[in-house]
Amino acid sequence: MVVALARLIVVGFVVLTVIYLSLSFYSRSVRRSKLRRKWEEDIRRGDREEYVRRGLKIYDRSLRRKLLWGVYIVPVVTIAVVIYLVNFN
Amino acid sequence: MRYVKWTFIGSFWLLVASFLHYTLPQHDVVRITDTYLERIDFGENSIFWANAPTGDAVNPQNRDVFFIQTFRTNERPMIYRNEDTGWGWPPYFKFNTSNLQAQAADLESRSTSGQQAQWVVIRHYGWRNEFLSIYPNAIKIWRVDSPDVTIIPWINIIILTLLTAFFWAIWVRWRRFREARIDPVLEDIGDSLEAATDHVVDRRGKVRRWWDGVRGKTPAR
Repeated sequence: MVVALARLIVVGFVVLTVIYLSLSFYSRSVRRSKLRRKWEEDIRRGDREEYVRRGLKIYDRSLRRKLLWGVYIVPVVTIAVVIYLVNFN
Repeated sequence: MRYVKWTFIGSFWLLVASFLHYTLPQHDVVRITDTYLERIDFGENSIFWANAPTGDAVNPQNRDVFFIQTFRTNERPMIYRNEDTGWGWPPYFKFNTSNLQAQAADLESRSTSGQQAQWVVIRHYGWRNEFLSIYPNAIKIWRVDSPDVTIIPWINIIILTLLTAFFWAIWVRWRRFREARIDPVLEDIGDSLEAATDHVVDRRGKVRRWWDGVRGKTPAR
């Protein structure tokens, strides 16, 4: 029981961390190219990299960024719900 | 080359389909006739038995396994095993094997009992195969009033939809990435090859054609 659970936790944590990291890099790069495009198309004033840097700072505090924690939360909640439905319902 | 390719693609999808068919839950309407316990010595078919004992020793050579004997609505026998999947694969997180066995024993209904048949639905995963001596694993049992109940496989609908959406999202992004980053580079290499060797067979680059060949496209002429 303990061994199997430990294995699930370790493997799950590693896999989810890989997914979380790739997703957060991917999401950040999508945001960066969007900011660049917006600067090219609409703003065209001041330093472009400065604009992108400020935009990414706002992104880091945004709800969208925090939603990425769902990568960890959703599987854990799903497992808890499945355990309840299969064994105690 | 084409046959090799299609054999490869075909066996890939066959593998995916059989994996899903084995792992996803299915429902049978049956009446339970008996429950029993049998010592199983795991051999070549050990992959088809649960391998995550909950609280027992890890990786034993043999183990007592619960079984549930049933008859389906077509009066053909079907035997289920009843095993904990625990924290292992497939992720049913089933720990209540003994409770399930008690419920199964309680719902027994034999043709010789002289009473009206008690039909139950068994949710299970896995395959019955006589040659390999493998049995589907029962997950849940509930009684139904009549043998012709309609069961909508919500779990499968949800899981398959999410799986498709997940892989579709990755596939679309990969294709976009390939078009934006890899194809232009290949085209560049092709162009410089052409310029260097001055050996233009076709207007398209060699590498480009090789890449198309890999992807199964025939070059446009």
